[in-house]
Amino acid sequence: MIEIQNVTKIFPNGVRALNDISVTINKGDFVFLVGPSGAGKSTFLKMLFREEIPTMGKILVDGKDIVTMPGSRVPYLRRNLGIVLQDFQLLKNRTVAENVAFGLRVVGVSDAVINTRIQEALEQVGLSHKRRMFPTELSGGEQQRVCIARAIVNNPLVLITDEPTGNLDPMISDEIIKLFLEINMRGTTIIMATHNEKIVNKLRRRVLALMDGTIIKDEECGTYAYE
Amino acid sequence: MSLAKLSFFLTEALTNLRRSGITTFITVSTIAISLVIMGAFLFTAMNLEAFLLQMQSEAMVTVYLKNDTLLAEAHTFNMRLADMPEVADSLVVSSEDAVRELFSDPDDKRLLQIGVTPEDNPLPTTIRIKLKNPDLLKSIVDKVKLEPLVDNLSYGEDLFKQFEGMSGLLWYVSLSVVVLLGCSSMFIVFNTVRMTLFMRREEIIIMKLVGATDWFVRGPFIIEGLVQGLIGSVIATIILLSSYHLVVGKFAELIPFFGIGITFEQLFKLTAKLFMMGLILGVVGSLLSLRDIRKFSRSVN
Repeated sequence: MIEIQNVTKIFPNGVRALNDISVTINKGDFVFLVGPSGAGKSTFLKMLFREEIPTMGKILVDGKDIVTMPGSRVPYLRRNLGIVLQDFQLLKNRTVAENVAFGLRVVGVSDAVINTRIQEALEQVGLSHKRRMFPTELSGGEQQRVCIARAIVNNPLVLITDEPTGNLDPMISDEIIKLFLEINMRGTTIIMATHNEKIVNKLRRRVLALMDGTIIKDEECGTYAYE
Repeated sequence: MSLAKLSFFLTEALTNLRRSGITTFITVSTIAISLVIMGAFLFTAMNLEAFLLQMQSEAMVTVYLKNDTLLAEAHTFNMRLADMPEVADSLVVSSEDAVRELFSDPDDKRLLQIGVTPEDNPLPTTIRIKLKNPDLLKSIVDKVKLEPLVDNLSYGEDLFKQFEGMSGLLWYVSLSVVVLLGCSSMFIVFNTVRMTLFMRREEIIIMKLVGATDWFVRGPFIIEGLVQGLIGSVIATIILLSSYHLVVGKFAELIPFFGIGITFEQLFKLTAKLFMMGLILGVVGSLLSLRDIRKFSRSVN
């Protein structure tokens, strides 16, 4: 599904964010990406949706080399990925349904199909009853669930998520993680960068630990500890 | 482009125009005012040019023959002139006819006071030539002035040259105004779209995250520019067409030739051109502003 081969990322200011990393992530995997702040977790994720381009190395997503991919093809790559970030990134002047519909509108899906897909996605995240509300009328956890609905409405192959529980209390975090597990069980690959030790240790999924841009641990059924 | 996308672009564009009412008002007003000023200059230049054309088409060359020229010689010369390809019509006016003409005009009776009488006739025999085409003026003048019977020629050259110079200058000024106002309107549209881009940065980031192409992101902004240009053009067209006859009427009181110049067809064509210009200003202004759209979508934290 995702192959990262000898990838190095050096920023123009000379900072080496990733240092010759190689990882393979299979279809249906649930991968936790852990490590201290500044370890390169976000850079790692951004490279998967071509927000950053490696200085060296190769990244294959679903068999396609996304490093050499022309910029004009990047939107089509992203349509197969769901992206959920820490800050909810919802449009405050649009309703829940409109926010979720955004991912479908850009692909040019008709209104009739959009309505069905929004309903399905909102039911999956348990927010179908709040489809007409605005993000400001929702709690943090609910806002994050709207983001997840938007990310899954296109049935992505991979869900990339950076600290999705970073702004949420433990109880709500558990709910969000439960939601990710459900999505994963339907076959979607999930790559999640997190500092949430409790969740990583509880779920015992594959853990990739990054430190100073290098993978220092890659464990199936791993734990959070990386030092 | 699918119907769903077009509908999305239109909805987004119209919603944004409504939301950013003040900036929309400023942009539309700027386009409308610029087009009205451009139109005013172009109408004036066109009127003056039309007047010049009319002047040229009525151009008449008066050939003053030498004092000792006999009338028979004048008629023979006239027959030669009539055969020239440039000449549409020519007429010999004897000195007697000329003085009769002069006295038939009551305003010129004051000439008597300076000693001009039918008995003491100082007027020479002349030949009046009407040209087939005003462009042939120089050619006929060059030919005729070399003739031995010819003393002098008159074709209102000073007045004509003055008007021609004025018309040329007015065209230069008009074109400069069109270019300057066009650029400034485009700059306003450019800045409005730029401002909107900053205001809607978050939206653009999300659009790019969920897989929108650059052209998809640009779509609503281009339609916004188009709509602003369209509204500006409509306003300008209404102002220009409704005020044209009023303004021309006022001018006609001051300068008699004004208002007779351009036809309704020309007026319509110019208005259509200004209308198109408004649309182009809106769209090009937006496109220039959107050329580096990727810069606005690269801030995923």
